[in-house]
Amino acid sequence: MEAEAETCHPRPRRSLALSLWTAMMVVALILGNALLAKPSLADEIMTPRKQVPSAFSGWLDEDVGPFPGVVAPEGTYEGKDVEQPIEFPHDLHTATNKINCLYCHTYARRSAVAGIPPTSKCMGCHSIIATDRPRIKQLTEYWDKGQSPPWKKVHDLPDYVRFTHERHLKKFLFDNPDMTVERVDEVCALCHGDVTKMTVAKKQKPLTMGFCTRCHQANGGTFDCQKCHK
Amino acid sequence: MSLVRNFIEDWSRYRRSINEGGFHEYEHMWGMVIDLDKCTGCNACSVACYAENNLAVVGEEKFESGQGMHWLRVERYWDEPNIGNERVRDTQEHGGSFMPMMCQQCNSATCEPVCPVAAAYHTPDGLNAQIYNRCVGSRYCANNCPYRLRYFNFYSYYEDSWPSPLDMQLNPDITVRDKGVMEKCTFCVQRIRSAKNTAKMENREVADGDFQTACQQTCPTTAIVFGDLLDHDSEVHKLWHKFQTKLGTTKQKKDNPELRGYRLYEQLNTEPSVTYLERVRDV
Amino acid sequence: MSKSEFDRRDFLKVMGVSGVAATVAGCDMPSYITSEEGAEEVIPYLSPEEYVIPGVGVWYASTCLQCPAGCGIRGRVREGRVLKLEGNPTMSLNSGKLCQMGQSALQSHYNPDRLTTPLMRKDGALAEATWEDALALMEEKTGPSSGISGHRFAWYTGSVSGHQNVLLKAHLEAMGSSNHFVHEVINTRVWQAVCKEMLGQSMPTLRIDKAGLVLSFGADFLGTWMSPIQFSAQYAAFRSGDERGMLIQAEPSMSLTGANADLWVAVRPGTEGIMALGLANVLIHKERMDASVLPPETQELIARYNVSITSRITGIAGDRLIRIARHLKNRSPSLVLAGGPAAGHTTGFEAVQAAMMLNILLGNVGETIEANADFAFPQLAALGGGTTDLNRFAHAAGSGQLDALFFDGSNPLFGAPDHMNLNEKFDAIPFKVAFSTFMDETTARADVVLPIASAIEDWGTHVAAYQNEQHEIAFQQPLMEPIHPLTRSFGDLLLALNAMRSPGTYDEIDDYYGYLQSALGAIPGVLKGEDAAEDDPLDIQLWNQILQDGRLEVPAETSLFTTSVSIKDITSPPTDEAFPYYLVPTPRSSLYDGRHANLPWLQEAPDQISKVVWTSWAEIHPVTASKLGLEEGDLIRITSASGVLEVPVYIFKGIHTDVVCVPMGQGHTEYGRYAKGRGVNPLKILDPGEDTRTGELALYGTRVGLAAAGRAGRMVKMGNTESQHGRKIVATITAEQQRRNEGES
Repeated sequence: MEAEAETCHPRPRRSLALSLWTAMMVVALILGNALLAKPSLADEIMTPRKQVPSAFSGWLDEDVGPFPGVVAPEGTYEGKDVEQPIEFPHDLHTATNKINCLYCHTYARRSAVAGIPPTSKCMGCHSIIATDRPRIKQLTEYWDKGQSPPWKKVHDLPDYVRFTHERHLKKFLFDNPDMTVERVDEVCALCHGDVTKMTVAKKQKPLTMGFCTRCHQANGGTFDCQKCHK
Repeated sequence: MSLVRNFIEDWSRYRRSINEGGFHEYEHMWGMVIDLDKCTGCNACSVACYAENNLAVVGEEKFESGQGMHWLRVERYWDEPNIGNERVRDTQEHGGSFMPMMCQQCNSATCEPVCPVAAAYHTPDGLNAQIYNRCVGSRYCANNCPYRLRYFNFYSYYEDSWPSPLDMQLNPDITVRDKGVMEKCTFCVQRIRSAKNTAKMENREVADGDFQTACQQTCPTTAIVFGDLLDHDSEVHKLWHKFQTKLGTTKQKKDNPELRGYRLYEQLNTEPSVTYLERVRDV
Repeated sequence: MSKSEFDRRDFLKVMGVSGVAATVAGCDMPSYITSEEGAEEVIPYLSPEEYVIPGVGVWYASTCLQCPAGCGIRGRVREGRVLKLEGNPTMSLNSGKLCQMGQSALQSHYNPDRLTTPLMRKDGALAEATWEDALALMEEKTGPSSGISGHRFAWYTGSVSGHQNVLLKAHLEAMGSSNHFVHEVINTRVWQAVCKEMLGQSMPTLRIDKAGLVLSFGADFLGTWMSPIQFSAQYAAFRSGDERGMLIQAEPSMSLTGANADLWVAVRPGTEGIMALGLANVLIHKERMDASVLPPETQELIARYNVSITSRITGIAGDRLIRIARHLKNRSPSLVLAGGPAAGHTTGFEAVQAAMMLNILLGNVGETIEANADFAFPQLAALGGGTTDLNRFAHAAGSGQLDALFFDGSNPLFGAPDHMNLNEKFDAIPFKVAFSTFMDETTARADVVLPIASAIEDWGTHVAAYQNEQHEIAFQQPLMEPIHPLTRSFGDLLLALNAMRSPGTYDEIDDYYGYLQSALGAIPGVLKGEDAAEDDPLDIQLWNQILQDGRLEVPAETSLFTTSVSIKDITSPPTDEAFPYYLVPTPRSSLYDGRHANLPWLQEAPDQISKVVWTSWAEIHPVTASKLGLEEGDLIRITSASGVLEVPVYIFKGIHTDVVCVPMGQGHTEYGRYAKGRGVNPLKILDPGEDTRTGELALYGTRVGLAAAGRAGRMVKMGNTESQHGRKIVATITAEQQRRNEGES
């Protein structure tokens, strides 16, 4: 959780860094699109999973996982609609445009928290893509003011809980020989529900201690209280 | 019947010392050595602990009624002949005796079995843990601690302790405790967890020196040494070994009884994880 | 959900730490109990650096400015907030360690009583103002068209060094003034002056770690003297070497260093120098040490102080003097230090001289006192403060010599004794500008108050006055964005002031950051190659490396000692019927000179000696207590010729029977919610008097009368017992046993 990186001070030198960043993003996007034509790494990341486990219906029944090596946690939750400053369409990004979850939520594999992507990441694409859409105009407005949209938190844990995304991803995804990175959305879905079918994210799993411990029990996770409670 | 048998079995297993296998299959056994001869009583460790662990500042009135939340306090004693009215004309012949006192992370802790809700329990890395959200505030544990090292939140101290923007300093790795909850030194468990997390991400074991507790890191004379007692290459294991202090006893049997290491009140069979090295007097 | 609960939850949400460990009844509680959806905001970074990851701390190096020792620090930064400070391991001064004052720098930074907006005096009271108005008024009063002439302008600061000092000097030069008062109550000026005279250099390297015995006359080197963290590390080595070193401390009341001494000697205030002479007498005449290193006059002087005379004057038993002298001889090399109370008398210089003479006699010079070098860049070297400047300032202000005063980093109105009448003199200065982070006593009387960035928000370079053999420039860099948008960097303001007086000169420079970069770039071999041309670009990698290390090592060419001994006789203070006791206003490494009284961590940190929190107390001996009929916590009235204090007493034997000790730091009349109206300030009742050679105030020379005030005071202490009651809590063995078991390993 605590990578003790030693660095010089991040003095914002925005103008230059930003234009470079934007340029890189544009190149990456064009390249990425070009590569999509052939089977390649980009292909692996961006094509839909070959075998979609039929929704997540089977999950509640018994300890048959959606993919090998994992027993899915049980429990459902009827989340309420959360009004976000910009109505962000997850489905459009993930299902339609096949963008990998980890492309935006990149911190999830490097930190305890998955984090909301920095606004610069949004602008990396949206300074050239779909700039005429109302929601993008909203985003650009924030950006021009030098602000990030004040997103509302949908998935929240009590502050006496220590949860780490990176370790769960490591176990379920990177250390799981039967999984590949392009199928990360199935891993995310264990706790976040099928985000590829949502616009604004909505809570679909209870994220209670019972939910956690049932999964820990089934998958050999820790039962030491202090590992998860702080 | 089986309930009673289970209880007796569990109990005797629980009371067994680590040398006989102990209660757990220990992954680590975090322990400490404090050299009282190097300790100058400067109090840096205590303030470092306030900074690291979101300890509330309770103010003069509450401190007076014994509510100071100093997880690590530096006790100071004057030697007997120098106290009171005996030999009243004299002045002090030498300095005082300082002792940094924090939870001794007993391996046979008196606080654990009395907790009615099992909020105080022993972890597989030899820590005496306190689970805040489980605690109901019976305070049995504090009453049972011979070291007086458990601190109770009689009030919602956070209401006055961190007026904005002081609250921005609060460490997000630890809870801010509310009233009705018992708290105490954790051996900086958040730093342990974070070091273990890093090690696991790198597919290795935690190595000696990967992290330090807050008190150890700041100590100007390096009087505090912390580490894994099960790791035979660790500094702390070497010191325990050098001074011949062992776990699993109520009285240390040393080849050389003059060696400085001792555990505080170990005769009570609390099995503390902290070894103190005696202060030296040169007169 | 009741209203109050709702408020609490909001409060916690703002903090982002809503860790309410309330009861959670079951594992599958509905989630609204714990974490509501959409209730909390999560605002992402706008455009972060690659290495900034939410939830992961990043460490940045900087410099601690809590006292003038100049230790290196590293701050843990997460989500844009600095959460914890640690010592910087690459800094040779403190090698990764930090004291409680350093740890508390966070609370200076996040303090709720920070100044957040400029203030200007309107109809007698300070009122909120804009930066434009404030700067315009400063331009009007001190700008080129103001007609203010030369020495009628002055700067008043605490110890300064590095580029801040360069810019201050440049500003003074542009103003045509040489009036820079540098004020520091806790300082080592007398020690430095003695070293300069007797060894030829003012800051020799001290090697406690190499000494077999340290004899310290009042120098609290583990607490407040010179560079305590560095000396603490040396002390650890001194205690754990093959042959454990012995520490002897002689002082009127016990300091932190005294509390760690193997032998603690209560000495009558003002007679420390005579004790040193008496020890030299024993060494020469009883222990037959070769005295030929000392000139004949000095030998004659020493000969006058035989054991019985020394014992009578200092109040130390003769056999004890002989014992100390024997230890000094047998445990060579030793190290004799003097400071604090020993230096704080009208004869302070002579007392420290006598101590240094012991070093020369014992052959310590060159062994435990090593020659050091002058700092390679004299314009960056430390300008260490003293109390001489307070006196000079009081004189200048009192005689109407000043028209305008800018002050920063110092609080003279708190530190000045009442007899100076400094408040009135200060008010008489027509235009006073405070560059402050807090509303302290001095700032409250300024005409313009400029809120400056905290040490944790600002850039800077610092050079500690005491450098070991590795000379280094310490770098200060912001650990986070300013909390209060209207505060400004002191460096930026200095640049603006300079630009105001010298138009055109600073046009090329954007800000203090840019100034520091180009100033370092101008030093050959630092930010570009040795033979680089003037207009070659700076190597930004080297710059980043310096910031990452938090330090830049500079070459130090050791110069040799030029020893000369010529010491003077010391007149011991006469008895005073009206005021039979001595007041010792001791500094402690917590509230220091009072500058940390607004930090709740330090207010609640028990004092190292008395374990008192949140207030002032007076330390007295049981003999004194029984004479006055006082018990612990009773109020004592302390009367000097200059004032009266009433304060509860702490009774213990670590103090001379003729002494009352009141630690400095409390007694603020301003300075925010944690400091204001707490305890008493012993500096206020000091009598006039200064060291005749250096002009430093005789802080320890005040005579007082004591009386019971007739009622109990309030004194909150940690713990109710002074004794272990025979239990094995802090166990002790003798050095003999330790040597036997651990000596030769």
